[in-house]
Amino acid sequence: MEFPAALLTRLQVEDFIYREAALLDSWNIEAWLALFAEDSAYEVTPPGVEDPDRISRQSAYFLIGDDRKRLGHRVARLGQPDAHVESPRSKVRHVYSNVIIAEDDADEVRAYANFITFRTKRGTIEYFGRIRFVLARLDGSFLIRNKRVMMDIDALVPQGKVSILL
Amino acid sequence: MGWDRPYESRFLSVDPAAQRFRVNRRCFADATVFEEEKRKILYRSWLYLCHESEVANRNDFLVREILDKELLVTRDAAGEVNVFYNTCTHRGALLCRSKAGNRKAFGCPYHGWTFSAAGRVLTRNADTGYRADADADGAYSLKRVPRLEKRAGFYFINFDAEAVSLDEFLGDAGERIDILDEHSTGGLEVIGYHEYSISGNYKMMCENSYDGYHLMPTHGSYFTYQKAMLEGLPQRALGGFALSLTNGHATVETDIVSGRPIAQWLPVWGAAAHDLIEAKKLELIERLGEKRAHQLGQTNRLMVIFPNTVMNDQQSIQIRSVLPVGHDKMITRAWLLGPRNEDPELRRVRLEGALSFLGPGGFATPDDIEMLELCQRGYNMGGVEWNDISKGFEAGEETARGTSFWNNELHLRAYWTQYDKMMSAS
Ligand code: FES
Ligand SMILES: [Fe+2]
Repeated sequence: MEFPAALLTRLQVEDFIYREAALLDSWNIEAWLALFAEDSAYEVTPPGVEDPDRISRQSAYFLIGDDRKRLGHRVARLGQPDAHVESPRSKVRHVYSNVIIAEDDADEVRAYANFITFRTKRGTIEYFGRIRFVLARLDGSFLIRNKRVMMDIDALVPQGKVSILL
Repeated sequence: MGWDRPYESRFLSVDPAAQRFRVNRRCFADATVFEEEKRKILYRSWLYLCHESEVANRNDFLVREILDKELLVTRDAAGEVNVFYNTCTHRGALLCRSKAGNRKAFGCPYHGWTFSAAGRVLTRNADTGYRADADADGAYSLKRVPRLEKRAGFYFINFDAEAVSLDEFLGDAGERIDILDEHSTGGLEVIGYHEYSISGNYKMMCENSYDGYHLMPTHGSYFTYQKAMLEGLPQRALGGFALSLTNGHATVETDIVSGRPIAQWLPVWGAAAHDLIEAKKLELIERLGEKRAHQLGQTNRLMVIFPNTVMNDQQSIQIRSVLPVGHDKMITRAWLLGPRNEDPELRRVRLEGALSFLGPGGFATPDDIEMLELCQRGYNMGGVEWNDISKGFEAGEETARGTSFWNNELHLRAYWTQYDKMMSAS
């Protein structure tokens, strides 16, 4: 029996995003940044909006709306000792599941995953919801074109802030 | 009033000769003080409710929690804005369960009473059992919050029916709210909001919002980023002042340090934004004159309306309502505003500027939150009584209408002087 192509794509995506999460969990954030393509974006949509998949950071007030350049600054900031909220660093654990491939083209894959991310520092908080990955195919692996985090919360209560990389 | 002699209360310790002005930490750490504060301050002061653009059209509504109340704000068929307790006058069910929308009538899910957007009973879902004129006197109308008034499109409420008018309460601060409305001729609109909790007393968030003193130590990592963003602009020293206004309100006004759509371009924003921002600059001068245009376009203004409203005009207009949920917990709701029908390119750079600095996912606010939580932990451990807010304190200082260097603490002293005055009243 032939191995279904759709299943293969999902396995490839899962393998990639599990490794992506592992870089974040180990605070290997420079290496994580290197997974992003030149024209990419990292976004966290505002909680409580109707259709977080469709809105644009050019017109809506996102929690985070970084192009590749600002994401670089964000990562650099988190490496500094005066990024007080993450100094000393929190413990971070990402859990991805329910991976669904929404679109699979020759050069790009669009996938969704459910997620829970735990942050521990003076207590534990949880972030959870859905993540959209737009991944550019590159030599049998991927580069991230878009990572959009869409949380299932109405407000950052009790999370309070997004100081880690989700 | 000028501080010219020593003063001690449950909350303050002031010694002008020693240049010492201190606040007792029980104001942050004591649950019974907080209960007293609710009675003496929070339920008697004007609290921010919403901006008129949030209920722009007839039958628009929104539900907003303020302190321990859940309120229903409506614009009724006659165009009037109302604010009700969101509870059915029959047996109490929460009436409106959506956050916002447009609705002519509100139906209670329990026994089926319905109410108009003006709060009147429309039907009781019963053919028998009631007199036809049971509600002729409005006895069953939705209950209104005692006071609702607005200044330049910003609505405030007061739970004290006897309170002075909003304009009198705002005093000198009112004129500075009017400035916000002058950003455009077509009025402002709410673009979006962030809501986040902090494990700390709400008054710390007010202090932090216009605290110039903390900028470098707390936000060093933000300034590293900002330096990169400001490449190509001349570096200059930051000038500015703090100004205490009447009734505990105060503002800190400085030269702008970063770009803003009204009206300071940043090279990283590109050429398209440049022309629009320069045109905006000229429009302001033409409409308001050089001086006012400078105040509007070229200064950062951080204002705290005592006791819990922050009205900022920096990278963008941002209004914060700082709501206590106990003596050691708060929720901050922060709305971003801009001109209605703003050019999409200007809206884009407005959001750029706001996103990087402000907000719980920005480069600065998370570090502020961290500081406030560290302070609360310091207060909770007890054993140490006083906070110090003496920076720049001078004997004879007029805290109700004084001015000082922007990173002194005059404005904090104005806030706490008002706090002490209201809390010490019997
Ligand atoms: S409680 Fe609303 S109709 Fe009875
Ligand atoms: Fe700050």
